Amino acid sequence: MKISGLIGVLALAVPAFAHSQGWPTLAFRGDAGFVWVRSDTAAGAAGAIRLRGPVLGGEGRLIFNGFSVGVGLSSGTLQTADQGTAKRDLIEGRLLLAARPLPWLEMSLGPLVRAYVTDAATERWVVWQARARVDAPIVTSSLTSYLELWRAVSSQVNLAPGAGRVQGGEAGVTYRPPQRPFSLRLAYRVDDAAVRGAGDRSQMLEAISVSLVVGER
Amino acid sequence: MTRASVALAVSLLVCGARVSRAQSASDFLRQGVQAYQTLEYDAAVALLERSLRRDSVTGLADSLQTRALTYLAATELFRGQRDSAVAAFRQLVLLNPQYRPDELVFPPQVTNLFQEVRRATRAIAVAVPPVTELRARLERFTARVLASALADVTVTLAHEDGTPVRQLYSGPVADSLVVAWDGCTATGTLVDNGRYILRVTPRTPTADGPRARQVVLEVKQQPPDTLPWPPTPTLLPERTSTGPALQSLAAGLVAGAAVIALPSLLAQGKDATGARYAVGAAVGVSGLVGFLARKAHPLDANVRTNASQRDAWKRRVDAVKAENAARLRTMRLVVRAGPETIAERGSP
Repeated sequence: MKISGLIGVLALAVPAFAHSQGWPTLAFRGDAGFVWVRSDTAAGAAGAIRLRGPVLGGEGRLIFNGFSVGVGLSSGTLQTADQGTAKRDLIEGRLLLAARPLPWLEMSLGPLVRAYVTDAATERWVVWQARARVDAPIVTSSLTSYLELWRAVSSQVNLAPGAGRVQGGEAGVTYRPPQRPFSLRLAYRVDDAAVRGAGDRSQMLEAISVSLVVGER
Repeated sequence: MTRASVALAVSLLVCGARVSRAQSASDFLRQGVQAYQTLEYDAAVALLERSLRRDSVTGLADSLQTRALTYLAATELFRGQRDSAVAAFRQLVLLNPQYRPDELVFPPQVTNLFQEVRRATRAIAVAVPPVTELRARLERFTARVLASALADVTVTLAHEDGTPVRQLYSGPVADSLVVAWDGCTATGTLVDNGRYILRVTPRTPTADGPRARQVVLEVKQQPPDTLPWPPTPTLLPERTSTGPALQSLAAGLVAGAAVIALPSLLAQGKDATGARYAVGAAVGVSGLVGFLARKAHPLDANVRTNASQRDAWKRRVDAVKAENAARLRTMRLVVRAGPETIAERGSP
């Protein structure tokens, strides 16, 4: 909570200061969402594990001349969907290097680490993602829709030997109130990973999130 | 010798002959006058008659003809040939109804006889300048109607085929009368380019009365320069475009559809939760909101600005229209007159 509070204070203060000085600008995003995870094995539906739970997170970016470097972190506790008592902590961290060659297009690259932590073991995914995001204004500078797609250029999971295709996408809408330094975002995200090898596993993660964005992205 | 040389030589010979004959006619006149002055009347008559002998090419000019006829009549009178003198004076009056013998040159019996003949010989004539340029309706083409005695005449302008164009005068002419024409027809419209006949006709033609005279007028319009139309004003759009509204709707609907379709595209065969429908609907509604917010609507300020621009342009057009109409009303006419001729009886 202390960290979240510190991030919030920085999110409000630093962008305004940096912008006024003509320096690289900073942008912060705070997310609150709900996540659904479904893990399947080759054994069929009987082997499917369904988890869900709320997630909180945030992302900070340093932006300069159309380039940005960002770091994001989110975490939450997931429970099995059948009212079971089993819990898993979901922790997701991300680094990215992004470029905006066109006002409506952003390309980014970076690693994503996702971990499902139980008392017994930790399932950790390391995925290098290539992302492309398209912004389409609905009402100029105040209401914007976007669509972002990504695909893994390499992936690894520690509990299974090897990893296969990992891809995902996100779409949503951003609303920036007039004369306000922040914007609100509603998004839906889906990740799908297929692991080939022993057991042939697959995992799908869905998330709905509401975000508060401070600063220019 | 080439053909050109032959043609040149022949031309020079013909022209030389003409000049020679013309000089001879003048010489005969000069010698006739000298014979009259030295009282050699028979010789004078012969010389003067020779000077007046008709030749289509080398005849004397009108002014010299009048001089020759006057001396001839005076000579005949002094020879005792009164009828011949009367005939010469009658010819003189018909040639130029305005002519009067110089009383300082000729004795009273000559001038008295002339007046007697003049009163008895009723002749009319019309004199026009060879070329007249005028601004139609504003300026006038003038013709001078001459009469040897009081005559009742009608001055008309007609097409070459006789179709009347306008009557310029109808009434008496005591001595001379200036008739003016403004270049318009009887209905007030400008005459077209073409040939017209200006005719002076006795109102009551009689066998011994004056004969009608006419002059062919070649009329040509010279249109004035008119002003170009003022350029149309560049108007501002009076309504916002529907394009942005449709873009907003498309952006919202596409993003909403993407939300709903993402699992099918990226995680085929997996059961996705129904929560995405709520997000997709929200995104789609935002597109609808954008569509309504950016819907085409009138731009009142532009409408007002355009209205004033249109009014100003219309005023400029009206001014140009009026100016051009005024310029066209005052079109220039060039009137070239042919020689005066006697109108044939029954001619159109």
